[in-house]
Amino acid sequence: MWGIFLESVVIFKNYMGFHENGYLAGIYLLALLYLWLTEKNRSRRAIFVYAPTLLLALFFCPLFRKVFVRVLDDSETYYRMLWLLQMSMVSAYGMMRLCGRHRRIGLVVISVAIIACGNYVYDSEHITKAQNAYHLPQEAVDIVDLVEPEEGRITVLVPADLIYYVRQYSTKIELPYGREMLIARWDYYHAMYEAMEKTEVIETESFVELTRQYPCSYVVLKEDRETTEPLSDYGFALYDQVGDYLIYQDQETVR
Amino acid sequence: MVHILSILSLLFWLAVIPFGIGLIPANFISAKKRGPGFVLLAGYFGMWALFEVVTMPAVLFVKYDNFKVASVLFAVLSILCAAVGLWLWYRRAKSGKSGDRRHENDIHVNFINRIKEWIAAQVKRMSWAERIEWLLFFVLLGFQLYKAVAYASFDGDDAYYVVESLIAQQADVMYRILPYTGRPTDLDVRHALAVFPMWIAFVATRSHIHATIVSHTVMPLVLIPLSYLVYYEIGRRLFRRENLSIFMILMTMFQIFGNVSIYTSETFFLTRTWQGKAVAGSLVIPALFWMFLWIYDGKKEVTEKRTTPRKAGRRHEDIGLWIVFVCINMTAGVCSSIAVFLVCILMALTAFCLAITERDYRVILKMGAVCIPNVIYMAVYVIVAYSGLF
Repeated sequence: MWGIFLESVVIFKNYMGFHENGYLAGIYLLALLYLWLTEKNRSRRAIFVYAPTLLLALFFCPLFRKVFVRVLDDSETYYRMLWLLQMSMVSAYGMMRLCGRHRRIGLVVISVAIIACGNYVYDSEHITKAQNAYHLPQEAVDIVDLVEPEEGRITVLVPADLIYYVRQYSTKIELPYGREMLIARWDYYHAMYEAMEKTEVIETESFVELTRQYPCSYVVLKEDRETTEPLSDYGFALYDQVGDYLIYQDQETVR
Repeated sequence: MVHILSILSLLFWLAVIPFGIGLIPANFISAKKRGPGFVLLAGYFGMWALFEVVTMPAVLFVKYDNFKVASVLFAVLSILCAAVGLWLWYRRAKSGKSGDRRHENDIHVNFINRIKEWIAAQVKRMSWAERIEWLLFFVLLGFQLYKAVAYASFDGDDAYYVVESLIAQQADVMYRILPYTGRPTDLDVRHALAVFPMWIAFVATRSHIHATIVSHTVMPLVLIPLSYLVYYEIGRRLFRRENLSIFMILMTMFQIFGNVSIYTSETFFLTRTWQGKAVAGSLVIPALFWMFLWIYDGKKEVTEKRTTPRKAGRRHEDIGLWIVFVCINMTAGVCSSIAVFLVCILMALTAFCLAITERDYRVILKMGAVCIPNVIYMAVYVIVAYSGLF
C-alpha cells in the first residue's frame, strides 16, 4: 500500500510539473486554503472546498487507486482524476475572493503569478507553424498525393516519422504496421518494422521479401537510408522524390 | 461555391441545430437563467447526447456501412429536435410566457435580433473599464483561436482518433477498421463507445470537408469558445457583473500558462482540442460545475423568497436544468469511457458534500438519478467487453 501511495505522489508531482519548476499548484492550494478559511456560502463550500479536498484525499488513497486501475484496466490514465479538481476555475475564484475589492491590482498580481508559476503552452516543441489546413507535414501530403490510387486501397511502407500522418490524409493507404510500433512501452514486435527501422543498414533481400508479403506497392525511404544492395536490383524502381524521401515502386506488385 | 456551401453547412450543424435543440430545455427553466449562452450550451450537450443514443446501437449492431446508418438517423432526429425546440419557443412566445416583456407581443422577432439586443444591453450597462477588460479577454481568446488555426500541434493519438473520423467519412465504417494500419479489426470497446470522433466525421461528411481539416482547424474554432462560454456561465453565477470580465481574463491566463506538464486539462484543451478526452476535461467537467452552481447555489435564497404560496407549475420551472445535467453526463460517454467513470466520482463526491452542507439528503437521490445514463453506459461497456458477443 505504501508503494501505491508513493506512486500516486509521483503522478501528482508529474502532473503539477514540479520537476519543471511549474508551481501553479501553489496558487491552487493557496486559493483552496483561503476558501477553506473564508467561504461562507454553504453550497459553494461544498463544491469548491469539500469536494476537491475529498477528491485529493481519494487520489492519494492506495485502495481507491487499486480499484480505479482494476475497474478501468488502465494505470496510465490515473492522472485524469486530477482533472476533476478544475484547478484553474477554483484558483481563479479563490484568488479573486482573496483580492476582494482590489480587482484591477488583483488581476495584475494574479496574472504575473500565473506567468511566473506556469508554462506558456505555445512554447511546446510539438507546436509548429501549420503547413496546410490539415495540419500535417506537407511532405506526407505530397507523398500520398503521388501514390494514392483512384480506386481501392494499396499498402505503402513509410519511415517512422511519416507513420502518424499518412492515414490522417488518406485511408486508401494501408500500412504494414502503424503507430503501435513506435510506442516503446507497448513493446510490440513486427518483423517488417525491425527490418525497416531497427537495422543500421537495410538488408535488401530479406527486406524485399517481407514487403512482398503484404504486398507493399510503394516503399518510401529517407534519402540517406543505407541498403546492402540497391532496391532496383530486386524489382523496385525509383518512382519520385519528395524532399528527403525517395519513393520506390515495386514493379512486381504494380504489375 | 463549394466553400460557401461548406461554410453554410457548418453553420447549420454547428450553430443552428444546437441552438434549436437547446431551446427545448430552455423552455423549461426560469426566464432569469435563460440566455443565448444557456441555449447554445444546452443544445450542444443535448445534441451530443442524442448522437450517443443513435450511434452506440449502430456501432454495436450494424456491421456494414454503420456510419451511414447512424449519420442519416442522427441528421433526421437532430433536425426534428431543433424543430421541436423552435416550435416550443414559438408557442411560449405566442402565449406571452417568454419572460421577456419587450417581446411578448412580438413573436416574430428573430433570434439573431434578440441576441444582438442582448449583447447591446450588456455592453450598455458596462463601464469603460469593464469594456476594456472584455476587450482584453476577447484579444486573448482570439489569440488562442489564431494559434489553433495557424499552428499545428502534434499528438500521436491523432493517428487513432482523427483517422477513425476519416475512415468513417471515407469508408462509412465505424470502429471495424484498425486506424493505424487499415486492416479489419474486432470492436475495441474502450474506444468504440466514445463516439466523439464519429460526430466530427458527421460534421465533416455533411459539410464535405476532409475530416482531418475539421478536426484540426474547425473544431478548435467551435470548442474553445464553447469552453469559455461554460466559464462565462459559471462566472455569471459566482460574481457580480463587474467582476466577470476579470474572471474570464484569469481563465484565459490559466489556460495559456497551464502547460505545467503534458497531463493537465489546460494542456489538453489547447493542444488536443478536437480529442474527446480534451473535451471531457475542458468542457464536460466544467459544465458539471456549472450545473452544480446553477441548481444548488442560491437555493436557500430562492426558498427564503417563497413567502407567498407556490404558483402552479413553479416546481417544474428548472426541470430544463436537470435535462441539461443528464445530457452533460451522457456527453461524458461520447468523449471517453474513462470520463464516464470520472464524472460519476465527481457527482458522487459533490452530492455527498452538498447533502451534508444543505442538510438535504434528496440531493444524493437526484444526482444519482442523473447518473443513470452513465450506469447504463458502464453496463453496456462490461457486456461488450466480457460477453464475447461483439
